Amino acid sequence: MSETMDIEDYLLQGGVMTNPSNAPPRYRGELLRLMATFVDSELAGSAGFAEVINDAPGLKARIAASRIVLEKTDHAERVLDLMGTFGADTARYAVHHPWAARLDRDAEIGAARRGSDMRLSVFHYPLQGWIDAVVMNVLMGRAVGIQLQEFSRLSYAPLADIFREIAPREARHAELGEEGLTRIVATEAGREAAQRSVDFWRPRVSASFGREGSTRFDLLRRFGLRHRTNEELAKSWEAGMETLLPTFGLI
Amino acid sequence: MARFYPLDVAEVRRETRDAVVLTLKPRDGDGDAFAFTQGQYLTFRRAFDGVELRRSYSICAGRDEGALRVGIKRVEGGAFSTWANQELKPGDVLEAMPPMGAFHTPIEPEVAKHYLGFAGGSGITPLLSILKTVLVREPRSRFTLIYANRQISSIMFREELDDLKNSYLGRLAIVHVLESETQDIDLFTGRIDAAKCAELFRHWVDVASVDAAFICGPEPMMLSIAASLREHGLTDAQIKFELFASGQPGRAKARAAATAASASDAQCEATVTLDGATRTFRMPKQGESLLDAALANNMDAPYACKAGVCSTCRAKVLEGEAEMITNHALEDYEVRQGYVLTCQCYPTTDKLVVSFDH
Repeated sequence: MSETMDIEDYLLQGGVMTNPSNAPPRYRGELLRLMATFVDSELAGSAGFAEVINDAPGLKARIAASRIVLEKTDHAERVLDLMGTFGADTARYAVHHPWAARLDRDAEIGAARRGSDMRLSVFHYPLQGWIDAVVMNVLMGRAVGIQLQEFSRLSYAPLADIFREIAPREARHAELGEEGLTRIVATEAGREAAQRSVDFWRPRVSASFGREGSTRFDLLRRFGLRHRTNEELAKSWEAGMETLLPTFGLI
Repeated sequence: MARFYPLDVAEVRRETRDAVVLTLKPRDGDGDAFAFTQGQYLTFRRAFDGVELRRSYSICAGRDEGALRVGIKRVEGGAFSTWANQELKPGDVLEAMPPMGAFHTPIEPEVAKHYLGFAGGSGITPLLSILKTVLVREPRSRFTLIYANRQISSIMFREELDDLKNSYLGRLAIVHVLESETQDIDLFTGRIDAAKCAELFRHWVDVASVDAAFICGPEPMMLSIAASLREHGLTDAQIKFELFASGQPGRAKARAAATAASASDAQCEATVTLDGATRTFRMPKQGESLLDAALANNMDAPYACKAGVCSTCRAKVLEGEAEMITNHALEDYEVRQGYVLTCQCYPTTDKLVVSFDH
């Protein structure tokens, strides 16, 4: 069985890569970029959420928030360890950005990156207290679910494995958010505050799926690193929100 | 970051005409670093004509054998595999990184599972490690191995597999599929493609009973088997892959000779290749990294940390010279081969030719 084929043809046909030594250079670059985006987003998300633990209204809520902070950091570590197998300096990487840093609430950044920080743009906005954090977690939780579904079939097997492993825990984070939101909207004042947060976060979470007509998408698709376009993912999320939000009396 | 350790070569056993099995011993104190999980591989490094090569080979020992062994099949034109097959001898020292790889599923001693393994040629090495380990550690599990080779004489571990089959009667089934040798049953002759898989699944393997499948072999075989397994109802999470490194170049090319020294001009003419397209632009030698200059010229170059940490922006200097301010990601041998982190890279010559595609 010495028959072989060009690695790009192999990827185009749905082939799977299994270790750093068989990844061609451009594939390697895009894969590392994808991993860095995930790691930065998890670390930034976790660091931001850590600050609202003390705002949680009860012990159960406080435990839920702590758990989300802990597990998102753990998920970042798993992917960062994989970056280490490509030569990334994991110890330095973990601390090379102030992950808790945020821009102003009214900053206009669209889907753009900020310098070398690869976190999704939505994680540059500050949380404003408990209700705001819960709403953000509900909206982003569903978005993460859709992203993980997409990434669970990407062509680098060790990374797809990690995404498949963490998907149920991330889904649980979204559920915890929805449980928290149910309690918040039980009062009209809570519902109104939640609606204000939905109005703020909804367009920003939607933008986190990336630009329409991304030029990189075609390359990523050929590499088997992406399957559905940014627009498809964003639409799928929007459709989910259309059904989910009314169950909380929100629009 | 993973580093290299010396391993003493305790034994070199000739397995077939063009394959050897090495038994390796970590030095005192390094044993823990080389504790492995079934199906993992070791990455070796060695210099050939002054250029360092790294090659990964799967461990073929089970976890309970108390030994570290890898199988190396000679690849036509492959510098490392040829050297290992022709020159390596007991007493020599190899340098290797600790075991890596995720080609395994968790061991669950109390569960009765059915594993299905596909190996093409030397792709048998990790599968041998996996099947030996699960047969010992999961006494209620069984393993079906489908093993493709060109001919009988090229089958690695043929005797060991026969012995294992006898030791684990009823728990280990082995099907040899030979490309250029006629067997009693037509099904076992030829290549493993979609049609062959369909026949095997109809007559020989009940895919519905399979809990996890492992595939290790060359690219076309991996594609057709994976497609066939999915068609028969296995999910991506149930199919584990190890692609063996057939696509690796045999011999790394030496770094292109740098051109004559630079003039005092503060500008550099940079030529950058990305995704097969080449663009030439002028950039200052100071104040702007090569990555930023490429981005400013509308090239969609890959990057992540811009801090010399993650190595996403790695590229190769083909002509000219550049200075790297910070490097926490590239190894010395990569730097010697001309690789740079473009986010930390400033030209020192008037002309610089760089490729992200190398």
